[in-house]
Amino acid sequence: MLRRRLSPLQRAGFLALVGIVLLVASRFIGELRDYQGAQVAVYIIAISSITLLTGYSGQISLGHGAVMAIGGYGAALSFSLWQFPFVIAILFGILVGTIAGFVLGVAAARLSGPYLAGTTLALAVGLPTIADQFKVLGGEQGLNFDIGDAPSWVRKLGGSEFTQYKWFFWIAVIAALISLWAITNLLHSNYGRNWRAARNNAVAASLAGINVARGKILAFTVSSALASLAGALFGLLLGIVTPTAFPLSLSFAIVTGAVLAGVSNLAGSIVGAVVLVAIPEVSGALATHLGGSQKVTANLPGLVTSLLLILVVLFMPHGLRVRRFKRVKNLIRTK
Amino acid sequence: MLVHRRTKRGKLAITFVAAAALAINALPAHAFTAYKVDGVTPSTITLGITSPLTGAAAPGYNKVPYAMQAYFNYVNDNGGVNGRKIKLIIKDDAYNPVLSKSVTNDLVLQSKVFAIVGSLGTASNEATTRFINDHGVPRLFINTGYSGFATAAKYPTTYAVLPSYVMEAKIMGQYIKDNFAGKSVAIIYQDDDFGADALKGFATAGTKFLVKIPYASGSQADPTVVGKWISGLAQLKPDVTIMFGVSSATAAALGGAYKAGFKTQWILGSVGGDGTTIATVAGPTAVGLLYGAIGASFLPAPTDTTDPYIAQFQAINTKYNAGVTFDNNVLQGMNTAMLTVEALRAAGTNLTRANLLKGIAKSGSTFASAGFAPLGYSATSHVGYNGYWFGTYGPTGAIKPIGGAYTLYTTDSGTGAVTQTVSKRPAMPAKGLPNN
Amino acid sequence: MFIDTLLIGISSGAIYSLMSLALVLVWRSTRVVNFAQSGQAVLSTYIGYEITAKTHNYWVSLPLAILCGALIGSLVDLLFMRLLSKRVKSGPISEIAPVIATLGLLGLIQSVIGLIWGNAFLQYPSPLSAKGFTFGSHTIPFSPQNLFIVLASAVVLAIFGVIFRFTNLGLALRASSFAPEIAQLAGIRVSRVRNIGWSFAGAAGAVAGAVITPTSTLSPNSLDLLFVSGFIAAVIGGLDSLVGAVVGGLVLGVSFSFILQYISSSVTFLAGFIILMIVLLVRPRGIFGKRVGRNA
Repeated sequence: MLRRRLSPLQRAGFLALVGIVLLVASRFIGELRDYQGAQVAVYIIAISSITLLTGYSGQISLGHGAVMAIGGYGAALSFSLWQFPFVIAILFGILVGTIAGFVLGVAAARLSGPYLAGTTLALAVGLPTIADQFKVLGGEQGLNFDIGDAPSWVRKLGGSEFTQYKWFFWIAVIAALISLWAITNLLHSNYGRNWRAARNNAVAASLAGINVARGKILAFTVSSALASLAGALFGLLLGIVTPTAFPLSLSFAIVTGAVLAGVSNLAGSIVGAVVLVAIPEVSGALATHLGGSQKVTANLPGLVTSLLLILVVLFMPHGLRVRRFKRVKNLIRTK
Repeated sequence: MLVHRRTKRGKLAITFVAAAALAINALPAHAFTAYKVDGVTPSTITLGITSPLTGAAAPGYNKVPYAMQAYFNYVNDNGGVNGRKIKLIIKDDAYNPVLSKSVTNDLVLQSKVFAIVGSLGTASNEATTRFINDHGVPRLFINTGYSGFATAAKYPTTYAVLPSYVMEAKIMGQYIKDNFAGKSVAIIYQDDDFGADALKGFATAGTKFLVKIPYASGSQADPTVVGKWISGLAQLKPDVTIMFGVSSATAAALGGAYKAGFKTQWILGSVGGDGTTIATVAGPTAVGLLYGAIGASFLPAPTDTTDPYIAQFQAINTKYNAGVTFDNNVLQGMNTAMLTVEALRAAGTNLTRANLLKGIAKSGSTFASAGFAPLGYSATSHVGYNGYWFGTYGPTGAIKPIGGAYTLYTTDSGTGAVTQTVSKRPAMPAKGLPNN
Repeated sequence: MFIDTLLIGISSGAIYSLMSLALVLVWRSTRVVNFAQSGQAVLSTYIGYEITAKTHNYWVSLPLAILCGALIGSLVDLLFMRLLSKRVKSGPISEIAPVIATLGLLGLIQSVIGLIWGNAFLQYPSPLSAKGFTFGSHTIPFSPQNLFIVLASAVVLAIFGVIFRFTNLGLALRASSFAPEIAQLAGIRVSRVRNIGWSFAGAAGAVAGAVITPTSTLSPNSLDLLFVSGFIAAVIGGLDSLVGAVVGGLVLGVSFSFILQYISSSVTFLAGFIILMIVLLVRPRGIFGKRVGRNA
């Protein structure tokens, strides 16, 4: 399918526009939504790391929560131990995560489907236990990553009552837009085409001169860079990084988000992220509303979430993406 | 060409729909509040708690918030606090600090709670600290033994209630010095901050160990791990063995020793030393294994119905928390709820957050509670209970004070001395209803 | 000491083998890693618990729990997996959609258990002693319950071995996992055979849950880590191989046991990851996995 491409500059302009709209809009939203908006932005980055890996390169990871932990710990360690400014700390987190991702990627390129899933799952369970082994990683209490309030020029720009959560929202939104810009550029480059070619038919791709293994390693590395950025921001939002903040369920959650997004759909990652943040809220509210015994209130949110998940996968296997436009497009094409 | 333009427009539209979704998500939750003080109306006080209700950490701990609710309902049925009824909003955080932070945001910003009470978990409370401080939300009687939370400068609105692990270890070290001088001592401890704090306390007390056996949290469920502890101990044959871990680890250690025929004088930490909890975690037969062990506690045993507080709490439990076994978790919950009611009363009729905190600082040390140790609250200290008494376990798993009287050892989390006193607990207010 | 460690390792390895076997059975028949396997196992264990509470007899509850486990497995296939494989066929989604769907099912089962039995620790006691065998003055940390675990697992594995090797059903099971279309053409009712595979898997998981739970406690999440170990074991052994599942389980159980004894208890799952990496770097499809020419 042919597509006219926006140039990287046009894309940057468009995303900058979206960013400005969001940041201006943030004047009118409350603190609670600021935090949730920031969470959504972080999940967008995390989900797109999976989208890139699974949707475009055809590899599976159930251990991206562990990669997020590496990014988070890298950032928090450099922030609390060496007093790096938080932006540098986040970049340091990405660096550490990317290196780890490369090493994993080299191993992962040899493995297929469930073997890779099993390996990454073992990583997700095993890695957080390291934190208890080394005093420098802070153990169960974790490491401090409280970046404080926004600098005064930002507060002037952002208006009165510029809370820490609004500052988080700004940081996360900007990071998410930069990430989306970088990913779209990458996917429209030769690398992106090679990944898709290798995903669709590895044999044909290698006959066409594409180095499939190298492409997979690159995809895993880039995906890990994104995941570690998400992890660093995750820690920043939380104010600390701890082993319990990166449980196995986090790895599952972001893969879930990617499936809700329709795995090879980058725009869908936004929908997936909104749903991930909204689901516990909605099912929690529902449970409180319905009330009932202790057993009911405790377990109803989980029940609702699981049911929704199953229904979406069964009845909308290609995600929650907006399908209308595709139909319009097909209509035009048949004429 | 037409196709291409449509595609592009479609893409734009998708992005905007998504952005709109984000914006809708970002609409303010409440445009205005009806009352001046969050969570307080002329007839109600709304409080919040975060605790694991689901997930691996839930069993046991999930009884605490409902026990608190039961006690509040009892108080409400008897007139409430200065005419106001207490409503407790319970939120599940599955022992994950990320969830704790989200639900705490909800509690404070959306449900507009007056205060957070009894929240569980070191990391969970740490993650919400900055937010709680910024909003000046009182965070009372949190359920963690990490000593840091009692630092008033760093956590101005937070009040600890449990004695810290450092205190417990220091006191235990002193007890060993007094009663087992010259004997060889071994310790099994959890290989995280819980254990690290304990080792710090023992180091301050000058306790020398023959062997220190760390275990990873959760690994006590594996019989292999337990086998290793015991075979290690059996070779060295220490006279005294300290078990400083959670209930399931204590049960596993005692069970393992029984299986291997290994004999020692066990001293059990308070976290894992409750007979009722051990019975739930490891089965009724495990309780017999406690026989002869020494344990430390600051509360009375939950089975001791001769204690007026226990008798009263059990009666409340039967009526307001029907079907739930009365154990240490329920006792902790009710006790915390009782302290909360006293704190609310101490704030006076003009119930504001500032007055609540002032009230605890002023009269918190005189609050009546089931704890035998004194409460350390003052204008400068947010330390809760600061002492322990020692007892021996009977064949039914009930702990009885050594020598019959509650001899109390008190100390601080620093390098202060351990002092020995006789407990002077305030008498229980009539019907367990605070009258301060 | 060495023998003690080995015995304990075999006892936990036997349990891993059962869980791993359940996963392999499902994988062979449906090409799905069933993340709900631990949920199914824990549900059948709760049923066993309920039966013991009524009858006060572990030996009555055990076969009934296994039967329920088989039934649950069969129902999950009929009501759930059929629909899923009908709807999710191709593309990158087809690799991870089943993961998410079975995770959803796991969450559903655990919530339902929480609704019925609550999130508490329950006791599912067995009449066997947990006191280790004594040889002279030396008591080893290996009890009759441990011995029962090993024997029960061995019996289950032997029964499966006989079925697969010597019966028509076994032949059908092997044929339909090896080449479903050809098996269909040869007159095998692949969907029914597949359903039998699912119920066998459910039964194996139920045995694991019912024999291990008396050594600890029962809660909605109590078998979660067993699933992780079982999955690692299955991958080590090679997901297509039943023998591999058993060997993988034993390798993992014994390795964990020795790591605990001689290194540290804190690093077991990290060690699991490292063992897995080493095995897969040498043999990317597990010890007993088939080599496949192309995987596109």
